[in-house]
Amino acid sequence: MYPRPIPQTAVGLRRAYMVLVIAILVLWLAPLFAILLTSARSTSDIAAGNLWGWPTQFGLIDNYVGVFTQTPMARFFANSLLITVPAVVFVLALSTLAGFVLSKYPFRGSMLVFAIFIGGNFLPAQIMMIPVRDLMVRLGLYDTTWALIVFHTAFQTGFATLFMRNFIAALPKELFEAARAEGASPTQILIHVVLPLVRPALAALAILLFTFIWNDYFWAVVLTLSDTVKPVTAGLANLRGQYVSAWNVISAATVIVAVPPVAMFFLMQRHFIAGLTMGAVKG
Amino acid sequence: MSSLQLRNIEKNYGNYHALRGINLDVAPGEFIVMVGPSGCGKSTLLKSIAGLEPITSGTMIINGRDVTRAEPGERGIAMVFQSYALYPHMSVAENMGFGLRMAKRPKPEIDAAVARAAKILRLTDQLDKLPRQLSGGQRQRVAIGRAITRAPEVFLFDEPLSNLDAALRTQMRVELSTLHAELGATMVYVTHDQVEAMTMASRIVVLNQGRIEQVGSPLDLYRNPDNFFVAGFLGAPRMNFFEASVVALEEGWVRVSNPGAGVFSIALRPGARLEVGDTVKVGVRPEAFHLAEEDDGLAASVRLVEHLGRETIVYADATPLLSVGSDTGTSNVTIHLPDIVGLAAGASIRIAFDPDQAYLFGGPDDQTLSPPKASAI
Amino acid sequence: MSNVWRRHRGWITPAIFILPAIVLFGVVIVASSLQSVWISLHEWDGFGPMQWIGLGNYEELFADPQFYTSLKNNVIWLVIFMLAPPLGLGIALLVNQQIKGMRIVKSLFFVPLVLASVAVGVVFTWVYTPQFGLLALLFSAFGASAPALLSDENLVTFAVVFAALWPQIAFCMVLYLAGLNSLSEDLIGAGRVDGARGWNMLRHVVLPQLTQVSFIAIAITAIGALRSFDMISVMTQGGPFGSSSVLAYQMYEQSIFSYRFGYGAAIATILFLIMLVFIVWYLNRIMRAEDRSA
Repeated sequence: MYPRPIPQTAVGLRRAYMVLVIAILVLWLAPLFAILLTSARSTSDIAAGNLWGWPTQFGLIDNYVGVFTQTPMARFFANSLLITVPAVVFVLALSTLAGFVLSKYPFRGSMLVFAIFIGGNFLPAQIMMIPVRDLMVRLGLYDTTWALIVFHTAFQTGFATLFMRNFIAALPKELFEAARAEGASPTQILIHVVLPLVRPALAALAILLFTFIWNDYFWAVVLTLSDTVKPVTAGLANLRGQYVSAWNVISAATVIVAVPPVAMFFLMQRHFIAGLTMGAVKG
Repeated sequence: MSSLQLRNIEKNYGNYHALRGINLDVAPGEFIVMVGPSGCGKSTLLKSIAGLEPITSGTMIINGRDVTRAEPGERGIAMVFQSYALYPHMSVAENMGFGLRMAKRPKPEIDAAVARAAKILRLTDQLDKLPRQLSGGQRQRVAIGRAITRAPEVFLFDEPLSNLDAALRTQMRVELSTLHAELGATMVYVTHDQVEAMTMASRIVVLNQGRIEQVGSPLDLYRNPDNFFVAGFLGAPRMNFFEASVVALEEGWVRVSNPGAGVFSIALRPGARLEVGDTVKVGVRPEAFHLAEEDDGLAASVRLVEHLGRETIVYADATPLLSVGSDTGTSNVTIHLPDIVGLAAGASIRIAFDPDQAYLFGGPDDQTLSPPKASAI
Repeated sequence: MSNVWRRHRGWITPAIFILPAIVLFGVVIVASSLQSVWISLHEWDGFGPMQWIGLGNYEELFADPQFYTSLKNNVIWLVIFMLAPPLGLGIALLVNQQIKGMRIVKSLFFVPLVLASVAVGVVFTWVYTPQFGLLALLFSAFGASAPALLSDENLVTFAVVFAALWPQIAFCMVLYLAGLNSLSEDLIGAGRVDGARGWNMLRHVVLPQLTQVSFIAIAITAIGALRSFDMISVMTQGGPFGSSSVLAYQMYEQSIFSYRFGYGAAIATILFLIMLVFIVWYLNRIMRAEDRSA
């Protein structure tokens, strides 16, 4: 290991190390602590300019209840779920199929297709913005959750296919040869060999996709207008305009936007890290 | 003065004792081979000598200097790893010179040392190549060359030949022995391959469960194992073991009984403590068996015959013999015959052994109770 | 019929499997991107007919001072973002110890990575708020008053970039931690036997094993810097007076607020061409690695 592990016997050194690390961690997360603390401030304290002193009263519950009752945040939250969950499911399906074919049934140009999937993933959103918006208008999807579902499904399929292709390509070749030798059709191989084996990859991919799509802001503002359709990210930006200096409410709303991906991350941390670093390390 | 002294080396991982009370003195120029089953602690011991694994207690002295707390780079050792561990981004020359470079030696000195090592190992034409452009055998030699360049007090080898194919392994074995003779350096070598141990070592150290079982020259260990474990570990095919019980004790002799072999006498070393009724183990090397006449020896039936050309190995079943550790319920006897025999599976034979060539093990640690045998050489 | 099927099912089924992904990605992503280049050669308000003006939009763009401000800001983003890989490596080295409690500490270091950039933007807007924010609190502890970063033309871009750097460092740290955990134990041992310690070990033994990780960290960080949009939109909306705008934001502003879709498409095309350098560099290396392993 590098750096060298601090030996178990060096108790003093271990303690000093932990103190140092936690001090840096506190600095690192200071902006988050600031927002969490502010989200517990009462409106009267905020109005009086008492932002960091001892609170005269606590506003924690008022603020969070307020976000849900006095702003459309509940609606935004539901919209985000209605967009994110179907999009994740569609991407998983499309990318498993495409990744399976790209890894096990190479055809002329399959490397080009693969390269386009990877490259497309790194394009600036602006280069496709106008035609995509136009397309959604013409399909009658503009300002509906379907506009975002369709776009995210298309866009994330690039990254997800790369991910699934690499995972399936790394599965033991013999499994596929054995299945073919036994006369299994591609569909049977998909159902009986690929699907049972890719479950961990699907878990890792699902949580990554959830985070990417949930956190999207650009497409939310490009493809939606109404509060009834907007996801939380665009909603939060709107609230910022309306509640200019009500930092306690904005902080609470920010925390609400941040909670689902953070919770997902802590619940499925291993999968998340594995997904994010896949390919980066082996290469 | 010894090149390497180990004093009461202990290493614990929590409650697990990886090394227990290791004591060893290595004389300058010795080729020490450490063998033992996997998990016996041999690699841990080697890495501890290198300073790569911290030890729990004990003292290590290299060339008169206490290095117990020293960094690996300051111990005067060089190590050849099983995986070779060549720096993939450095050329062969840079790989071999890296240690001296870290020691801030002047460039001409490094170049000269690298050139010298490369010449010894016939790597002069490969110096500018990267490790990945070399064959397995060449990488192996670069790893050894890196050690030579450092001109260490002690060379450490961690199963260096296990990644090579059989033919190359034999060749490298010879090269390493030659190299040892040329350099006259002290070497400590870990392997699980007893052929390497028998052929290369000036002394073998047999390790088991973190302890040294026995230290000695290869032939000495083969002829006079200290205990049941060493007897069973060294020698291929393995020694045959039978259970027997003591029926009578005389001065210098013990009479033991086994259902298949009947009652026979084995010499006892002075001071061995046995009582009538004790269970002992009788060991007979495969080559100590011979085919017997019609009404002599034990009945056995042949299961498999391996013809090795000049010699023959017969695997036979002598059921009445109570083997030690037999898991099939039958008694497998391995017989190594020095000539060609026209036997086939299923044949009934009779086998016998000379009790003088047999070993007797008993007591709490299965110590050898039969007297030492004269060395062949 | 069944005969034809049997003879061709070897490729028909796979073709059917991959078709939805190719069609969707091809139409929505690839075709749209190409269409933008076409649109950039027109004058278009997004509703009426497009009018061909050739390179007119580009001529106007190259004469537009805002374009150069945005471009300069993109360069600032790119340069400052390059701090993310070394800082990420630094934190990874710091926390790469197996001591009880370190697992949760590492996870907490990762948190900025999973936050929505909008959330990060709001958090830092709050941190930077004059008089009341965390920064103001920090300055007042030293008896100074914090500058109003987000309304200062000269500082605003730096303020936004430093906020965006936060999750980017976390991303690089995740990559490097994974890299550090896959180091060859034997190579480290060989380095120690050769007497390499501290900086020498990092420089000569560890970093060479992390080249692939470093490459990915640098490439993705560069692409991320050029794609920056969310933070600017949330924190400054390009202001004050366009001083914190970047190409991505300028494009959005011209299209959505000014209905100049042709002009916006031209900006997007320029941004695309700049990023293409990095994308091609990345793809080239990934594909070569692919060929080697195949």
